Amino acid sequence: MNAVTLKEKKNISYKSCFDVIGPVMIGPSSSHTAGALAIGLVANKLFKGLPKRVVVKYYESFAETHKGHGTDFAIISGILGFATDDSRVPDAIKIAESQGIDITFLEESGDSPVGHPNTADIYLEDDSRSIRTVGISVGGGLIKVKHIEIDGFSLNPQGSLPIMIAISSRNNLELELRRIFKKYEVDINNSTNLEKDGKYLYQFDLDSQLSGEARKELENLSDIANIIIL
Amino acid sequence: MYMSIKEIVEAANEKQVPIYELAIKQEMEVTKSTFDEVWAKMEKNLETMENAVKRSVEGDGVFSPTGLTGGDAVRIKKYLESGKSLSGDVMMRGVQGAIGTNEVNAAMGVICATPTAGASGTIPGVLYTIKETLQLSREDQIHFLFTSALFGMIVANNACIAGALGGCQAEVGSASAMAAAAAVEAAGGTPEQSAHAFSTALQNLLGLVCDPVAGLVEIPCVKRNAVGTANALVAADLALAGVNNLIDADEVIDAMYRVGRQMPRELRETGLGGVAETPTGIAIRNKILGKE
Repeated sequence: MNAVTLKEKKNISYKSCFDVIGPVMIGPSSSHTAGALAIGLVANKLFKGLPKRVVVKYYESFAETHKGHGTDFAIISGILGFATDDSRVPDAIKIAESQGIDITFLEESGDSPVGHPNTADIYLEDDSRSIRTVGISVGGGLIKVKHIEIDGFSLNPQGSLPIMIAISSRNNLELELRRIFKKYEVDINNSTNLEKDGKYLYQFDLDSQLSGEARKELENLSDIANIIIL
Repeated sequence: MYMSIKEIVEAANEKQVPIYELAIKQEMEVTKSTFDEVWAKMEKNLETMENAVKRSVEGDGVFSPTGLTGGDAVRIKKYLESGKSLSGDVMMRGVQGAIGTNEVNAAMGVICATPTAGASGTIPGVLYTIKETLQLSREDQIHFLFTSALFGMIVANNACIAGALGGCQAEVGSASAMAAAAAVEAAGGTPEQSAHAFSTALQNLLGLVCDPVAGLVEIPCVKRNAVGTANALVAADLALAGVNNLIDADEVIDAMYRVGRQMPRELRETGLGGVAETPTGIAIRNKILGKE
């Protein structure tokens, strides 16, 4: 696998007022409930659809306190695609199980593999495919994504969202993607290109949220690439 | 983006604008949003806070699924109405708002994280009481939240706001300092006075550990928010009285971060230290989680 990583800009985690006054959410913990839901949502966006089997590994503070904080139903809510203030959040596990999803939670006793006390490692699969993502909940509902496995690729992003991933059989998408970011004035903090078995993955760590129009233009590429916006 | 409190104070003085204007302008620029979009979002946050306080005193109050917390906002409201409170109506109204909000949070109700859910009562508590004292309009209250937010972003980007990283000082401590700074501005104080209030409030809660019983955001979290609110009101009053602080706010943020790094894992939201490890704390954990 060939990897090219370019670090393009300094990373600030909390860019919006609403990262510290917000989110509006179902209690009881922003890092263990809202943040956990956000990590589940990353898995949902990577998998695109409902899995048959979910395995969640918890580390450190997540491992010690996930039961009390509702971390379990929060992560499953994310995997189901619920919003943080969706009233179905506390019932997510029942809802998932009623749809035939097999769920396992594991409390790991060692240190977090990515060096953060609020770490969750989520694995989703069905009969034909699987994804894995390791997320950390840094406080106030904000998360970082430290590791992703998808389509045989393995990624270690800087962490802050948004992250845009395109997977395609075409090796010439980078300029087109950069053109769209430039058009909508979205700065790129970091970018990585990977190649494996004739497939190409383009990953961009972005500095600001994408507008609805920018998203639409990216999603228009869906017929030639699997477009994932985290 | 503003990355220090010093920069905020200097910009507010240089441009002769309130801090909330700096916050709104930065938000519009960074998130490429319109004024109306940014305003509507903060208004929704305010409504969420108001609804939580309101819900906390309906009937007998709200109770968490474990039954460990709940109903205290109703008790405080009744006590307040008796007119006999020692710390006075203004203080106890703030305490009622703070505890009520965190009771709703523990009951898995809808709240606004400020900056976290565990600390979600501190800022609404201050706002709930000073809106009466200072006769704040709805617009003023939204301004208060923008000012709180700008100060909060400095803490979040230079230190941390997660109990798992920095203990409760990073959560209720940060919230209390944010509220103190915003309360000073709402009361007509200067940007420097806001910074002094911020510094005092955060210093007073330096070293506060995160030790949730059974890992739940209930004991001692709910009452810590009452103290966060009270501390913010005291710090704001001190600054407005002209009592200054020799240690500047940015340095206190750095100190908070260092103290957090020095805290053992047991005292950073693992439920393995502090009041969580008292005999009663352990008994509660065993009962609820069925361990050992």
